[in-house]
Amino acid sequence: MPNAIDVTDLTVAYRDTPVLWDIDLAVPEGVLMAIVGPNGAGKTTLIKAMLGLVDVAAGQTLIYGEPYARQRSLVAYVPQRGSVDWDFPTSVLDVVMMGLYGRLGWVKRPGKKERAAALEALDKVGMQDLADRQISQLSGGQQQRVFLARALVQDAQVYFMDEPFQGVDATTERAIVTLLQELRQAGKTLVVVHHDLQTVPEYFDWVLLLNVRRLAVGPVAEVFTEENLRLTYGGRIPFVQAASVNEP
Amino acid sequence: MTPAQLDIQLIAAVTAAACALPGVFLVLRRVSLMSDAISHAILPGLVLAFFVTENLASPLLIVAAAATGVLTVVLIEALSRTERVKEDAAIGIVFPILFSVGVILIARFASGVHLDVDAVLLGELAFAPFNRFEVGGVDLGPQALWVMGPILVLNLVFLAVFFKELKLSTFDAGLAAALGFAPGALHYALMTLVSVTAVGAFDAVGSILVVALMIAPPATAYLLTDRLTTMLGLSAGIGVLSAIAGYWTANLFDTSIAGAMATMAGVAFALTFAFAPERGLVAQAQRRRSQRRTFAEKMLTVHLLHHENTPQEERECRVPHLQEHLRWSPDFARLAVDAAVRDGYVLRDADRLSLTEPGRAWAQESMVD
Repeated sequence: MPNAIDVTDLTVAYRDTPVLWDIDLAVPEGVLMAIVGPNGAGKTTLIKAMLGLVDVAAGQTLIYGEPYARQRSLVAYVPQRGSVDWDFPTSVLDVVMMGLYGRLGWVKRPGKKERAAALEALDKVGMQDLADRQISQLSGGQQQRVFLARALVQDAQVYFMDEPFQGVDATTERAIVTLLQELRQAGKTLVVVHHDLQTVPEYFDWVLLLNVRRLAVGPVAEVFTEENLRLTYGGRIPFVQAASVNEP
Repeated sequence: MTPAQLDIQLIAAVTAAACALPGVFLVLRRVSLMSDAISHAILPGLVLAFFVTENLASPLLIVAAAATGVLTVVLIEALSRTERVKEDAAIGIVFPILFSVGVILIARFASGVHLDVDAVLLGELAFAPFNRFEVGGVDLGPQALWVMGPILVLNLVFLAVFFKELKLSTFDAGLAAALGFAPGALHYALMTLVSVTAVGAFDAVGSILVVALMIAPPATAYLLTDRLTTMLGLSAGIGVLSAIAGYWTANLFDTSIAGAMATMAGVAFALTFAFAPERGLVAQAQRRRSQRRTFAEKMLTVHLLHHENTPQEERECRVPHLQEHLRWSPDFARLAVDAAVRDGYVLRDADRLSLTEPGRAWAQESMVD
């Protein structure tokens, strides 16, 4: 049984400055993993590099033992909410159906089946009533739910999510965490860029500590230690109380 | 209407629709100025191809000019990727150079032929009907129609076939790439389409007006709808209407047809910008006014509720007092009180105000929100 994600020697550079430096990463199936690290640590770049969205200087990523290009149907990607133009003339339902475009392939248009699947995914995130809403009328939390529904509809094995909690209210955050944990229980693998160190032990079972290099990766109980956080954040650990961090 | 008049309007309408369709994606991708760059930079391609074929009607002209248009996009993007130059500056550097090379080539080597700078800038729609497309001596209509017609069909087919892909890569290029939809290739396909359309329209309306027809109708439609398919249809419709209105305006004032068409596209935008049902200036001002009035009514009922059955009631619940206490001008106070009375929230007895039962409920509700 291969790992859900296997990254070897992944290096991404901006001219001669490394953004990610020789990352090795093996994520077993069925874990909910946070990527944490300071600003500029390369968290988003890591996700994009694994998905082939940025040029890599070296290294490779395997999804269930095969290159990503051959496993697209197994992977769902939730980009940062701010990466798209929410004034785009389209509806909530339409955005969710975009998650199914990969399965449809070129030229073929979404039909009744896709509509039904998208409505079901919207139901899961509690947004079925807003299916026909123009996307510019959504709140930040609703936008994030739409993106989540778009990933759910793909029915993937591996989910990459870039800051799904950014700018959402507490209720939405709770709802999203519950969904992520349900996905994990269903055997899916989730990799989530996360900012709030405080909630890592509560939400996640695995964690990757990243700051250009891989500082530590593994079960939260083992690697989410004060020492590792100090290594990652260079001595200063922001927003975290000693109590929420496991002592070494 | 003479047959020539009909021909001109037909050419203008087909050109406007053909320009508006790819223009929608330029506007949504925020690369509107690419149309400006492309429509000018195709000139040297056109001139060089003319030197080779010595025939203004040769299809090679369109191919060469469209290739120059795509080259322009490649150069602009390569230049802005160096990060030494921002994209807007890159556009400003690349296309004037290419355009001026074209101008020099015409002035130096083609002064004797029917290819001049005025026609390049403004086109020559008025003469278009006299340029006929004939096969074996049979007149099949104006040549410009046989250029723009197929280009319109090409645009329609491309947008219909790749609608889903264009929508996804325009909205979320990252997801498009992750799902394997090659957003880069789609981008260049779209730019090729813009180039071909610009070359065809160039002949009819000139390079400046191509920009007006590509950008103004989609920008207008964007104010009127929030569905992409509707936006495409509206854009084409607004383009066609601007073209026909422009023709008759030019007729009336005996002026440049292409200029009048672009002016009408601008007028359509200005009118929509002012009067669009939801996003127009007037609608927005109305909405703000009504929000202000509703809020004033709320403040009034809350104020009355607050002082109801208190010793100050006699003093506080009077119209003149509102001016001082809520800092309302006498006019605004009267407006708010009138509105509250009309909505049945407040009773007025001379200067004395009191809440009705619905007014009391509304005030309580307002405070909870």
